[in-house]
Amino acid sequence: MNPEPFLNLDRVIHEKGRLGIMSALAAAPSLGFTELRDLLDMTDGNLTAHLRTLHEAGYVAFTKSLEGARPLTTYLLTPKGRKTFAGYIDLLDQIVRQSKGN
Amino acid sequence: MDNQAASEHLQVIRTLMERTALYRRALAPIMLLTGAIGTAGAVVGMAARIEFMHPFCRFWLAVGIFAMTGALVIARRQSLKTREPVFSPPARRVVIALCPALLLGGSLGLGMIELSNDEARQFLMVPVIWIALYGCALHAAGHFTTRGLRWFGLAYALPACAVLPFTMRPGFDAPWCLPHLIMGLWFGVFHLLYGAYLFITEKKESAT
Repeated sequence: MNPEPFLNLDRVIHEKGRLGIMSALAAAPSLGFTELRDLLDMTDGNLTAHLRTLHEAGYVAFTKSLEGARPLTTYLLTPKGRKTFAGYIDLLDQIVRQSKGN
Repeated sequence: MDNQAASEHLQVIRTLMERTALYRRALAPIMLLTGAIGTAGAVVGMAARIEFMHPFCRFWLAVGIFAMTGALVIARRQSLKTREPVFSPPARRVVIALCPALLLGGSLGLGMIELSNDEARQFLMVPVIWIALYGCALHAAGHFTTRGLRWFGLAYALPACAVLPFTMRPGFDAPWCLPHLIMGLWFGVFHLLYGAYLFITEKKESAT
């Protein structure tokens, strides 16, 4: 079995929590913090930590605005994040196909 | 990572993406068309002096079917344009959410046609119940599409629920044209207003 696809998997995205965030943001133009938290069933602290990691990697961007009187932080995938996520899915697909071929 | 783990990862990604994807096709043209049909329905209903329950239910059920067909045609055109299936997972969820209340409204209308005598004149409760059920349908669908639809649904359901007991009072007497006016206002004018609002905001969003 060729180990190359596995070695190329992006370690930042590969973590379960961050993979969830990337998947959710890939399917929506943008999502609010609470929407992400409720969808992924994460604690505030956990989600904040994962979002920070993804932001530092340049995969996720955020905007701050006001919804009425409440501050609203909205997250979205950057073009780099979108590209990396697509590449990650391609690699997973490759692993599945490779195993089926063996 | 083995085949099994990679498959599971892909499945998790697919499930999450499907759960997150909202129905984002432009609702403005659907709302504007429905509003135009609803307003025209009220004008025709009053001009033709449809004042008994039997023809009223038949007429407005036909208007409703006409409006739904038009909405479906617009949704299909949009999906062809964006090369997506008409019944994509988000679209399916919206339809499933709409169905129970709309089916109940439809069967109520048919039931009224079957049960009522031809001369029944006091039937204001019928449009009010239809409005309440339509509001429930929109509110349910609003969980799978733009959030504003939930509020729009409540603007139908809450006033209708508040007014319904009064329309059922014995001896309640309403002018013959009131049911048409109510249908025209809620299914016509309100749709037009919401459609215009969506048209402006959707344009703004696509410009940014």
